[in-house]
Amino acid sequence: MLWACILLPQLALDTVQRGRDDADSPLVLLGGPTQRRVLQAVNAAAADLGLRAGQTLAAARALADGFTCVEADPARIDEVQQLLAAWAYRFSAQVSLHYPRALLLEVGSSLQLFGPWSSFEARLRTELQGLGLRHRIVLASNPVAARMLANGHDGLALTCAEQTRAALANMPLDRVGLPADAAQAFSRMGLRRLGEVMALPRAALAKRFAAPVQLHLDQLFGQRALGLDFYQPPDRFESRLELNFDVESHQALLFPLRRLINDLAAFLAGRDCGVQRFDLHLEHAEGPDTVLKVGLLAAEREAAMLFELARGRLEPLRIPAPVRNLRLLADDLPPFVPQHRALFDPRAQQAQPWEQLRERLRARLGDEAVKGLRAEADHRPEHAWQASEQGAAGSLAVAPGSRPGWLLAQALALPEGGLQWLGQAERIESGWWDGGDVRRDYYRIETREGLRGWAYRDLAQPGPLWLQGWFA
Amino acid sequence: MSLPEYAELHCLSNFSFQRGASSADELFRRAHEQGYQALAITDECTLAGIVRAWQAAREHGVRLIVGSEVQVQDGPRLVLLVENLTGYQSLCALITRARRRAEKGEYRLLAEDLQAHCAGLLALWIADDPGDPESGRWLQTLFPDRLWLAVHLHRGSDDASRLQRLRVLAGQLAIRAVACGDVHMHVRGRRALQDCMTAIRQHCTVAEAGGYLYPNGERHLRSREQLAELHPGDLLAETLVIAERCRFELSELKYQYPRELVPEGHSPASWLRRLCEQRLAIRWPQGASAEVYQTLEGELALIEELGYESYFLTVYDIVDFARRQNILCQGRGSAANSVVCFVLGITELDPMTHRLLFERFLSRERNEPPDIDVDFEHDRREEVIQYVFRRYGRHRAALTAVVSTYHAAGAVRDVARVLGLPSDQVDALAKCCGRWSDRIPDAQRLAEAGFEAQSPSLRRILVLAGELIGFPRHLSQHPGGFVISEQPLDQLVPVENAAMPERTVIQWDKDDLDMVGLLKVDVLALGMLSALRRCFDLLRVHRGRELTLASIPQEDPATYAMISRAETMGVFQIESRAQMAMLPRLQPRTFYDLVIEVAIVRPGPIQGDMVHPYLRRRLKQEPVTYPSEKLKAVFERTLGVPLFQEQVMELAMVAADYTPGEADQLRRSMAAWKRHGGLEPHRVRLLEGMLRNGYELAFAERIFEQIKGFGSYGFPESHAASFALLCYASSWLKCHEPAIFTCALINSWPMGFYSPDQLLQEARRQGIEVRPVDVVHSLWDCTLEPQGNGALAIRLGLRQVRGFGEDDARRLEQARAQQPWRDVEDLCLRASLDSRARARLADAGALRALARDRHQARWKVAAVQAQLPLFAGVESAPESEVSLPAPSVAEDLFADYATLGTTLGPHPLTLLRSRLRALGCRSSRELDGLSHGDSVAVAGIVVGRQRPQTASGVTFVTLEDEFGMLNVVVWRDLAERQRRALVGSQLLKVSGRLEQENGVRHLIARRLEDVSGLLRGLDVRSRDFH
Repeated sequence: MLWACILLPQLALDTVQRGRDDADSPLVLLGGPTQRRVLQAVNAAAADLGLRAGQTLAAARALADGFTCVEADPARIDEVQQLLAAWAYRFSAQVSLHYPRALLLEVGSSLQLFGPWSSFEARLRTELQGLGLRHRIVLASNPVAARMLANGHDGLALTCAEQTRAALANMPLDRVGLPADAAQAFSRMGLRRLGEVMALPRAALAKRFAAPVQLHLDQLFGQRALGLDFYQPPDRFESRLELNFDVESHQALLFPLRRLINDLAAFLAGRDCGVQRFDLHLEHAEGPDTVLKVGLLAAEREAAMLFELARGRLEPLRIPAPVRNLRLLADDLPPFVPQHRALFDPRAQQAQPWEQLRERLRARLGDEAVKGLRAEADHRPEHAWQASEQGAAGSLAVAPGSRPGWLLAQALALPEGGLQWLGQAERIESGWWDGGDVRRDYYRIETREGLRGWAYRDLAQPGPLWLQGWFA
Repeated sequence: MSLPEYAELHCLSNFSFQRGASSADELFRRAHEQGYQALAITDECTLAGIVRAWQAAREHGVRLIVGSEVQVQDGPRLVLLVENLTGYQSLCALITRARRRAEKGEYRLLAEDLQAHCAGLLALWIADDPGDPESGRWLQTLFPDRLWLAVHLHRGSDDASRLQRLRVLAGQLAIRAVACGDVHMHVRGRRALQDCMTAIRQHCTVAEAGGYLYPNGERHLRSREQLAELHPGDLLAETLVIAERCRFELSELKYQYPRELVPEGHSPASWLRRLCEQRLAIRWPQGASAEVYQTLEGELALIEELGYESYFLTVYDIVDFARRQNILCQGRGSAANSVVCFVLGITELDPMTHRLLFERFLSRERNEPPDIDVDFEHDRREEVIQYVFRRYGRHRAALTAVVSTYHAAGAVRDVARVLGLPSDQVDALAKCCGRWSDRIPDAQRLAEAGFEAQSPSLRRILVLAGELIGFPRHLSQHPGGFVISEQPLDQLVPVENAAMPERTVIQWDKDDLDMVGLLKVDVLALGMLSALRRCFDLLRVHRGRELTLASIPQEDPATYAMISRAETMGVFQIESRAQMAMLPRLQPRTFYDLVIEVAIVRPGPIQGDMVHPYLRRRLKQEPVTYPSEKLKAVFERTLGVPLFQEQVMELAMVAADYTPGEADQLRRSMAAWKRHGGLEPHRVRLLEGMLRNGYELAFAERIFEQIKGFGSYGFPESHAASFALLCYASSWLKCHEPAIFTCALINSWPMGFYSPDQLLQEARRQGIEVRPVDVVHSLWDCTLEPQGNGALAIRLGLRQVRGFGEDDARRLEQARAQQPWRDVEDLCLRASLDSRARARLADAGALRALARDRHQARWKVAAVQAQLPLFAGVESAPESEVSLPAPSVAEDLFADYATLGTTLGPHPLTLLRSRLRALGCRSSRELDGLSHGDSVAVAGIVVGRQRPQTASGVTFVTLEDEFGMLNVVVWRDLAERQRRALVGSQLLKVSGRLEQENGVRHLIARRLEDVSGLLRGLDVRSRDFH
């Protein structure tokens, strides 16, 4: 077996940099706790300013001005690593992300497909370059050696154990992945290169160093194997149907939609899972896709039901431009659990659970028309009362029944004639921090018609009575 | 209709940390304006702010009711009000119990505490809604006829019905309801700050604080109109009934000095007199002069008149303990003005020979306890503290608190954070404030940091931060300020836990104590005293000579010559760069010159522009003149230039007819004017007085400006004199016993300005032999080894080995004393060294006697395995030698620095000298041949970078090479241009102009160059040492 290691020494930085067009201006990545911000990586321009990874931000600021700080984002790096693994999966069935910032590929069996190593390697480099990632590539007879040799080499290709052993012998001891204390101990014994350690009696080493050190050395030389977890491509469904002509009516979309849904259902059945949410992309000749999001209360996989749901969402949709292609994406594929129904379903025929009703209302009236209410903890009523996707409870201690359930979008000036005041004023003074300070005395009022409302007088600015909402 | 009378019974000050948004002063002023009958300060489970409240109450003429708001664990919330002295003591005991039970800053009040300590307290029950009558009934049993139901009406969503429900509840229990305001601020305008404090307390932003915030700003001291509008009359009237019952005054507290210090049959006064008489002969073995007797009599009479005998006896007792334990100590500060203190051995300096001013220490007008601060050896202060706790018991002795207040940076930081500024901007904004400033940064400073001062969000932050500055933040412990009393302390003031275990702290700080008349003793720590004691110990062992601070030969010319050459590294106080630059100019020749030297290199005299006039006069470059014969007496000793606080006081007395007590007031205002103002009345008075006495206006004004420049930075002469004594003692030792001095300093480290490396290099330059750390010879401390010719060599101690612990060292010492080491394994096993400790010794080269070199040592120690009992005594199988590369000179050098922080081999620059010469650099020794104004390039290791506040943007860089140190001056514009080289270099090349004057030499930098690469290039093989 032959192993290639693709080391991405600047992965964190590249991840940020490839999304920016100012490669020549100084950029640093920040990490660490807020009290002690530390530079995690610096680009070449920043290095020219004297900035170094490991400096504190305070020290860096003392050295130079005018560099851009970007927060290091481990999640984003993880994503890029996954993407890379998926990319590498095309070249080898054995891809491992065992080491951070590095890809291990078993390439012995891929050489037949991708040509001799030199052209294979060239192809890898071209594609990595295209992805905007700086890299080093080393080929060796075992994965651990390939990874560690990449610390000191780029483009090394060692196709047998003998060559690998010779190259390793020359490696500095602090670059071969030994535990830090062992590496330090070797160096304090005057040993600098791996070869010098290998020349020492094995028993003498075993007496002095813990077992993991010997294990690592053995793995480096291929005498013991490193157990690797191999990359598995993710479970997701994506399918695209080219319509070959521009479709403008809903009706004409239903047929291809049914095909996509059927494919999805087949896929789900094959994987023994269901789908909770999927996106239907209507691709237009130009302009962004129209995206239809279809969500379910529980995972489903029955084709007819999925189709009905999708159709219910599709029909009220206004299609802004002719549709050229349809694409269906499903990421959320939880295990499917068939529902058990009691023999005598106690639910009344017409009754529906609230969630199902909501889904149906949304499907029929549009997402915009069906809203939840959420109480936000803010003393200003218009802030406390928030429309939202999902209803949610907030906590604010007000007496029950003292607030109307529905507030007007905008307070209305209210003529005071014929109004009746009920009870004492409630004073609200809050919100100075965002420039929206209010100072109001609120009253419950009743109109001549018997309508009960909630209105306030602005203490900061004398004026009319403002109606904020009606009590039901 | 006339307004109803009202007394506020529930009000928090800013000593309810992160809750109360107004100071006591603001609250009482407002209460006065609104015509309140009384104001209760009821901070949450604390009396930390009560003394300030008492002051404010007297200032504004509104009666203070002492109280506290408390939450009983799993029980009701209450406001407790003190009815009488018993009630005050109950409250102190209650708070003490609740605080001692919890973490610092928290409290846990149990129902049983309330049961045990409710006498003399009135309770206002803050019932939940709906209230639980059960808790009410329980409270009723504790507070029969002393329980009320608190009614808070804050224009909430259903005040009317709530009031109704509370009335019903009160009716059920047959108690009366009373209006109270739950006041958190003095005016509505503090609403925003109060919201901020809530968010700070909840660790969230204001926007996130939501329901934690109050819905409106009603929790302030409302006008009586508004109160009348909201409350039924009977609820308001009831406040007066309660206020009328609470008649306790803090002035009723009677502090008693501890009694055990006075033997049977003596009064404190007679015993103090007896002690003084007994000890007079120790100070003046040939008999004291009539002047001494007269002064002593005068002091004793004043002490007796003011009733402070017990205070002196207490301090004497502590100092006497230290002396018996051979712990070096010395009183600092104004106590040095007192003959009584000198006679009792509290201070070491004879006030008679140094004409010091007793009024600075104790005065009739001031009528406050004297303040005696005593320095003890840094290493052994804990023994003294424990003695005090032991002697008086934990219930009678506690440390005083220090109230940490918000400075500008902290205030800006907290406010900006709760207003949601991103953390790096919070940092940047806080940085604009400087470290200890109490002022909000100005627009220009903000603009430099990239902030737009006019933006609304920034303005909000700055305004609120401005309000927060000066607010108390938390209580911390004073490093050594003790309160000791005859009766249990928790009858006087609540006691709480300190952050350090086994320490308890009272809730009052120094100023509070002064107000209430409590005694305080400062037990401070000074590293130099440890070093001096070690010197005396070493002198005894190696020279057979007994010396003490008092018996060191005085006025020794050799010592002064050394000082005048600025060879003062390691010496107390005069070792800093600024001091060293002054010494050759000042040329101290007498003890009093040292007193001046200590006092003159201070921000006060520098800002007051007193340094140059003094120097010119001393160097006879300008005539010494006095504005009058009378003032000549005051200023003669400082050549007509005011340098000491005492002189300013004397000036005021002589030239402007101040009494001694008034002069002391002037001193206090001087110290505080920058923060609080208040110098203007003195200005008028001084100028008028001086004009009246025939002084010129110009002179009077100049004097006043100098006084202002002095600010809080001027030294009292007595303090400078106490320090000068230690300064002289350490100089004498350095001059005559440099090996002993260096050894003692290093063993007392950390202290002073210089690292052991610098001290050892200095010693070696003086020709002292320094021997390496060696497990065969070294103890934990550095030791001295006789060289045969009478000289002593310094043997480095195991304490120099980085990461090697004292416990390991002590075991090693013991095991070696039983039997010398056979080999490395024998050492490791018998001294029970773990693998880490062994590795430290090997890397440090301390095994040189048992292994060939560091590399072999590390190889050998790695093989040592703990022996199983079964195989005890069985030789382990011998191993064949392996060959390891020997360390090079450079590797040894780097390893020395990494493991010991110093090297006994060649200085790194010795190894680099030829390359530096090729770069055109001279050594510091070669500078001797050059003259003032020459252009020169040097290179050295950067051992210090300093940018003093007083030096307007100048950076001082200290470079070290194999021959010594050189000071480099980097002006601001060069520092800006070459910031990277300035901040980032380990080895720096400086080209510039040499300045030498009066034996002071420095280099004015023109160009900086980072040549650290040379250092790293010394050994490419050892990348791991930096």
